[in-house]
Amino acid sequence: MNDEHDHHDSAPEPPVTPMAQEDASSQALAEALRSSFAIVKFVMVALVVIFLGSGFFQVGTQEKAIILRFGKTVGQGQAALLGPGLHWSFPYPIDEVVKIPITEIQKISSTIGWFAETPEQELSGNLPPPGPSLVPGVDGYVITADRNIIHTRATLYYQVDDPIRYVFGFTSASNTIQSALNNALLDTAARFKVDDVLYGDVAGFQEAVQQRVSDLADQEQLGITVKQCSVESIPPRQLKDVFDQVTAARQNQNKVLDDAHSYENQATNSAEAQASTIINQARSARTRYVQSLQADAKAFSALLPNYEINPGLFRQQELVQVMGQALTNVDFKTYLPTTANGKPIELRLLLNREPPGPKTGAAGP
Amino acid sequence: MKRNLITLITGAVLIVIFVLLLFTFQVRQSEVAVVTTFGRITGPPCEPGLHLRWPWPVQQVYKFDERIQNFQEKFRETLTADQISLITSIYVGWKISDPSAFLNSFKDGSVIAAQSQLESLLASDNITVVGKHPLADFVNVDPQQLQFDQIQMEMEQMVQGELQTNNYGIQIEFLGIQQLGLPESVTQAVFDRMKSERNILISRAQNEGQAEAIKIRANADRQANETLADAQAEATRIEGEGVAEAAKTLPVFQENPELANFLLSIDAIKQALNQRSTLFFDDRIPPFDLFHGTLTNPPSH
Repeated sequence: MNDEHDHHDSAPEPPVTPMAQEDASSQALAEALRSSFAIVKFVMVALVVIFLGSGFFQVGTQEKAIILRFGKTVGQGQAALLGPGLHWSFPYPIDEVVKIPITEIQKISSTIGWFAETPEQELSGNLPPPGPSLVPGVDGYVITADRNIIHTRATLYYQVDDPIRYVFGFTSASNTIQSALNNALLDTAARFKVDDVLYGDVAGFQEAVQQRVSDLADQEQLGITVKQCSVESIPPRQLKDVFDQVTAARQNQNKVLDDAHSYENQATNSAEAQASTIINQARSARTRYVQSLQADAKAFSALLPNYEINPGLFRQQELVQVMGQALTNVDFKTYLPTTANGKPIELRLLLNREPPGPKTGAAGP
Repeated sequence: MKRNLITLITGAVLIVIFVLLLFTFQVRQSEVAVVTTFGRITGPPCEPGLHLRWPWPVQQVYKFDERIQNFQEKFRETLTADQISLITSIYVGWKISDPSAFLNSFKDGSVIAAQSQLESLLASDNITVVGKHPLADFVNVDPQQLQFDQIQMEMEQMVQGELQTNNYGIQIEFLGIQQLGLPESVTQAVFDRMKSERNILISRAQNEGQAEAIKIRANADRQANETLADAQAEATRIEGEGVAEAAKTLPVFQENPELANFLLSIDAIKQALNQRSTLFFDDRIPPFDLFHGTLTNPPSH
């Protein structure tokens, strides 16, 4: 009100500036306004162009994009997913672009079953020194079916195959997957015996964990496909020595058994060989025996007619022939002629055991 | 006049934008909104998209995340039915199923308040359910007796039931145990037991190996001996066969047994005098009988 009053008061004051001057100044003002208005118009058009141009976006080969118009997905289901290439949407706040990695394999690890380890220790491969017991919340472990404590950790590799569910279904899908992996490790360990997890059925355990995670992912509709799951299990560090000893004892047991089996092979093989030698020898002896008899029989049949002509002569001839043959082979031949009185010469022999060597112990007359 | 028109259009656009900002709101995908008019909830929850509203202070919009949220419980020590202390940790996937009820239950729809409510529910249900099962239901070699899944299901149903009765507007999507442990002091006892089990396995491996090896060796020896004995028997049989076959030649010799015997004797002499023998003979034995009576060196008496 005060302002108006003042204005009212000032109105009747006489004009100070001349008319012509006013015209020129207003013209200049109008000119200035017009040109500045043109600039403003240009700027506005440019702004609109930039505004619309900012709606272009690029989708990489390993991702998909979803456009949210006023917050709502444009398109339904798979149709909402935009593939790689250049796309356009209304700029914010009308549209919003959400990009989701898809073909890329993602990985997540579960360490609820692992002891506390610093990254340095893990890199160097040195296990932290074991304490006498395991502290809950610090040292993770799982309990096996036969109530043994072991450490186990898993890494899960998965691929997002329902990106809409993956992004809009969960505040943190990766956390949920990790929980599922934790649960799978725990649950699977509760079904396996310690020796199976560590030595006997390592692959089976890993497979069971993977199966369980896959099942949970399906049940919870996480929108992922499990590609692979690798599990590593070790006995508690506190008991490493005894576990190693069991392994050594088992290896030794195998060695002892292997030795026994090789002995078995050797023994049976050599027995087989001996047996076949014995049988072959018997066969050839039989053949020889039979053949020689047959030969004898043949000779007999051949000799028989000669013999029957004059048995005495035949005998004499044969005997002399044999004696001749025999005498050529005999080492010592001693002829004892009959004495004049017809008595044979008396001969005394000292018989010794045959000494080694080619000599024969024989005494002369 | 033209200038005025442009000014007017620009002004109108600005006003429209301003009004739109005041009178509309967006609900993003995965969100749900509840509108209150003078503090009272009016209308059904709003789906994603653009919605109209009266500006503050007439209407107020509360937006909630409709996605499944992961909540992990801290470690909790519980007693099993067979009085064994267990340390468990539970995870749940929960979501706001009824935004209006949720807004009514928690001040300004605070998620943190909801989670702490959920945590206290989980804690009591965890203790109740674990207390109903012995440890053998948690870990067991026999898959028939293992009740891991049932235990989780029981907990889930219990929590779900309580959430519904209290009408928190929260729903459990899934629940699972993500950590199962023993109190620190018990782990030491378990280690001792495991150690003695290992020692048993060591001695068993040693003894079983030896025993088995001895068995294998003895078996091998027996088998070898059997093989040899069989071979000997076979050899004897073959020999017998030979004798039987040879017997067929006997009739030939029977034609003249005298000659047969003579020939055998001749053979025997040949064999006997084959080598390294010393022979004494006098002049009665042919062929030396030729010397008879032709003594060159008669004995002198």
